[in-house]
Amino acid sequence: MTDVGLFEAFVRRYQDMVYGTAVRLLGSPTEAEDVAQTVFLKAFQRFNEVGASPAAPGWLKTTTRNECLNHLSRYRARWQFFSELTRPDRSGGDYADTLASPFSHALDLEQAELREQLERALRALPDHQRVPLVLFHFEELNYQEIADALGASLGKVKTDIHRGREALRRLLPERS
Amino acid sequence: MNHENDLERLVDHELRRLPTPRAPHTLLPRVMAAVEAWVGRPWYSRAWFTWPVGWQAASVAALVMVIAGAVFFAPRVEAAASGAIAAVQMFAGGVTEAAPVETTAHSARILWRTLLEPLATYALVVVVLMVLACAVFGTALNHVVIERAEQR
Repeated sequence: MTDVGLFEAFVRRYQDMVYGTAVRLLGSPTEAEDVAQTVFLKAFQRFNEVGASPAAPGWLKTTTRNECLNHLSRYRARWQFFSELTRPDRSGGDYADTLASPFSHALDLEQAELREQLERALRALPDHQRVPLVLFHFEELNYQEIADALGASLGKVKTDIHRGREALRRLLPERS
Repeated sequence: MNHENDLERLVDHELRRLPTPRAPHTLLPRVMAAVEAWVGRPWYSRAWFTWPVGWQAASVAALVMVIAGAVFFAPRVEAAASGAIAAVQMFAGGVTEAAPVETTAHSARILWRTLLEPLATYALVVVVLMVLACAVFGTALNHVVIERAEQR
């Protein structure tokens, strides 16, 4: 049977990566912790194959991503509905006004805190913008792969990513 | 288009500078507690794919034997049932109480021959094929996921 001590070391080694992927995709620390637990339990169940494999990080990333997308799929109908509501040609400024509080306070923060603020802003994006944005910039999927993974059209994915970038860019001039 | 490319490059650059979020201190104890709970469960109550290999092989062999036995012994069971009915009739000596038993047995036999027997073989074959297909598909999927993860 799997050595529990070895597995504990395995969890210590990869917990930041799994949790980091999950929290950026889900935008919620609590849900990310739940997903991370599920992922590691799956890893334990096949630890003989995964544990010592050089593919372990890739397997964990792929499994985490899939678990997160499954988790989000429960809300996908609502997610697409709100995405459609925001689709009409509104300016980025209008859209940014609808974001959560981190955006409105970002310009008041110290320069040293802006990185953390950007992370928070990323998590505060609505699901339909944050998920494809994270898949593109952190998971290195291309537009078509993201569209396939989310069951959305290519055009919608591009539009959502663009709006997400525009929302984040409002923080960046202060930093560049 | 240039604006879009510049925006993509700028956001990509900034996002990649972000440090990986740290897992909370509660995650490791949670995971280990979940693992302990999972280990504490008897192996047969877990998903089939997580059973010990020996038990997986044994369960497949047992399933095949049950199906083969059902196919092989079905005619004999029917013959034995007919014999039992004849014995009941002999003991009853033509007493009218035996009539309902005989009628029920005849009805069951007719039902079996007309409706169930023609389909039974096909149903068994379909079940066996589906079980084998699921096992093959699950194993293949497992390998594909590992290989794809390795490529990434």
